[in-house]
Amino acid sequence: MRILVIEDDLEAGEAMVRGLSEGGHDCTHAPDGEAGLKAAQDGEFDVLIVDRMMPKMDGVAVVETLRREGDQTPVLFLSALGETTDRVTGLQAGADDYLVKPYDFAELNARVDALSRRRQSGAVATSLKVGDLEMNLLTRVVCRSGKEIDLQPREFQLLEFMMRHAGQSVTRTMLLEKVWEYHFDPQTNVIDVHISRLRSKIDKGFDRPMLQTVRGAGYRLDA
Amino acid sequence: MAGRVRLPRTFRTTPFRLTLLFLALFAAAAAAFLAYIYVATAGEVNRRADAEITAEMASLEAAYRQGGPDALNQTLIERAAGERPFLYLFMDKEGRRITGSIEESPLDDFDGKPDWASFQVTETDPDGAEIKRPARGLQKPLPGGESVFVGADVGEAEAYVRKIVRALWGAGALVILLGLFGGALVSRNVSRQMAGLADTVAAVRSGDLHVRARVRGAHDEYDELAEGLNEMLDRLERSMGGLRHAGDAIAHDLRSPLTRLKARLEVALIEAENGTGDPTRALEQALEDANGVLNTFTAVLAIARLQAAGEAANQTLFDPGELAADIAELYEPLCEDKGIDFKAEVTPALQVRGNREFVAQALANILDNAVKYTPDGGAVMLRARRRSSGEIEFSVTDTGPGVPEPDRARVVQRFVRLENSRNEPGSGLGLSLVAAVAEAHGGRLELDEGPGVFNGTGPGLRVAFVLPRVE
Repeated sequence: MRILVIEDDLEAGEAMVRGLSEGGHDCTHAPDGEAGLKAAQDGEFDVLIVDRMMPKMDGVAVVETLRREGDQTPVLFLSALGETTDRVTGLQAGADDYLVKPYDFAELNARVDALSRRRQSGAVATSLKVGDLEMNLLTRVVCRSGKEIDLQPREFQLLEFMMRHAGQSVTRTMLLEKVWEYHFDPQTNVIDVHISRLRSKIDKGFDRPMLQTVRGAGYRLDA
Repeated sequence: MAGRVRLPRTFRTTPFRLTLLFLALFAAAAAAFLAYIYVATAGEVNRRADAEITAEMASLEAAYRQGGPDALNQTLIERAAGERPFLYLFMDKEGRRITGSIEESPLDDFDGKPDWASFQVTETDPDGAEIKRPARGLQKPLPGGESVFVGADVGEAEAYVRKIVRALWGAGALVILLGLFGGALVSRNVSRQMAGLADTVAAVRSGDLHVRARVRGAHDEYDELAEGLNEMLDRLERSMGGLRHAGDAIAHDLRSPLTRLKARLEVALIEAENGTGDPTRALEQALEDANGVLNTFTAVLAIARLQAAGEAANQTLFDPGELAADIAELYEPLCEDKGIDFKAEVTPALQVRGNREFVAQALANILDNAVKYTPDGGAVMLRARRRSSGEIEFSVTDTGPGVPEPDRARVVQRFVRLENSRNEPGSGLGLSLVAAVAEAHGGRLELDEGPGVFNGTGPGLRVAFVLPRVE
C-alpha cells in the first residue's frame, strides 16, 4: 500500500515511515503542509496520514484543498488535540478518521488498514460473508455453516464491524469509537468481555475459531 | 512639551466626575424651573397692574359718558386727591393737558387708538432726593375727541419680582454648592472603598495570594465587589495550590515509572550486548511503562483543560436515562464476568444539559472504580433519576470496602489513592476527572457510604454525579 505521511515533527515522521514500511507499506514523508499537498496532488496514494498542526499550511487546509479538487484518498488525521470539537472540525474538513497523539503504533496500523479497505467497498451490500459466517443486513439474521446464531443488537453491530474489517486487526479503541461511539479509553477491559461473549456465540461448537485475539493490538476476524 | 496638569486625586475619580455631570444636569433643570417661576410671577404682576388700569379706565369712560368732559374732569380731580395710586392725564383734541396728576403723556406718538406705555415717574422723597420709579399706563381716546391716560406705579411689584430673582440666584448658588460638597463627599467615600480594593489587587499583583479585600457588611455594591474579588482569589489560590500539588504529584508519580523504564532499557541493552535475556520481553515491559506515563499525562491534561475552560464545551440537551442505559449495556458483561450482580435503574424521559461525551466518560470512570473495588459476589447498581430539587443524579453504588468518611473529600483530589488501593492499577486520577467534569457543568460529585455489609464485604460506596436542573 502506498502511504503519504505529512508530519512536521521529523523524528515522529521518520519513526512512522519506518514502522509502516516494516509492515510492508510503501511510505513517503512530507515535512510540512505545502510539501504534503504537492506530494498528494502529484502522486497516487492509498492513504494519507496528515498531522493537524503544521507550519506553512495546517492539516485541515491540506485536506480541504484536496477534497475541493475531487481527491477522495482516505485521510487519517493525527492530532495532539483530543476534544470533541477538534475531532469534529477534522472530520468536517473531509478526513475519514482521527487519531489522537500519543497513539499506539498498533492503533495507527489498524486504522490505516481499515481506511484502505474502505476505499474498495463500493456498492452498498445487503449481506456480508466471511468464510462460513453469513450476515444478512436486512433481515438481521446471522448464520454460521447454515446454523442460525441469536445475537443481541450490540453484538450484531460488533460482529458487523468485525466482518467489514475481516482479516484486519481492529483495536479496542476503534471498537469503542465505531460500535459504541464513545471517544475515550475505558480503564478496564470492558471491550474484551463483549468480544468474549460474541466469541462464545459464533465460535462455540465449531472446530475452527474465527475471532482471534491479536496480542498487543486487539482482535481479528479470520475466514 | 509641558505635561498635563494633574488634578488632585479627588477630582480625577469617576464618582466625582459623575457628580459633576449630575450637578450640571441638575443645575440645568433648576435653571429651567427658576426661569419658569420668574416668567410666571413677573407676568402675573404685570397682568394684575394692567387689569387694575383697565378697570380704572372703564370707570373714567363711564363718568365721561354720563357727564361729558366736565364730569370726567371732576372725577379726576376727586380721584387724584384720593388714596388711589393712579396717575391721570386728561387731554384735549390737540393733546394739551386739561387736568391730571402728570404733566404730559408718556406716549409721544398717540394716534387715536388705545395704547399701552411703560415709563418712569419721578418722585421726590421726604429728603428732597429724586427717585425714579417704573410705571405703566393706558391712553384711550374719548368720544368727544379728547383723550385720557391712566397709569399706575409698578415699582413695588417690580421690586417684588427682583426679590424673587435674587432668591432664585441664591437658590441656584446653594444647589451648586451643596452638589459640589455632596459630590466631593460621595467621591471621597467611594474612592476610599475603591482604594481598599485597589490595594488588594496591587498586593495580589506583587505576588501575595493570601490578601483579601475588606468586606464591611453593608451589603452594598462594594461589598459585593469585594466578596467577588475574594471568591476569585480563593479560587485562584485553590487552583494554584492544585497546580502545585499536581506538579508535585506528577513528579512523584512519574519519577518511579520513568526510573523503572530507564533501568529496564539499560538492563536490556547490557543483556543484548551479552546475548542473554529476552530483549522482546524487556521492550514490551518498557512499552507498558511508557503507556502508563502517557495515560497519566492524558488524564492530567484532560482535567487541566476542563478546569481552564471553566465550562464544558459543546453542551446539548440529552436524555440521561438513555445515556445511563447505554453505559450499563457497556459494563454489564464485565460485571457478569467478575461475578458481580449488576443492575441499572433508570427513570425514562428526563432531560439534562451537558457534554454527552464528558458525562459518559465520567460515568465510565465511576463504574471502572466500582467494578475494580467490588469483590466477586458483590453488587453494583447504576441509577439515573431526578431529585426532588430537579437536579439530575447519576449514582453508582457498590459493595466494595467503601471509603472511610474522613478520606472521602481527599480521594477526589488528584493522585490521591488510599493505602489499601496502592497495589491496584490506575493513575489515581479517575475521580478527579469525574469531579472536574461535574464542576465544568455546574454540578458536583458526592461520596457516601454504600448499602452496608453485603456478602461479607462492605460497607460499600455510593458515588453520585449530580448535574443542575434544566430550566
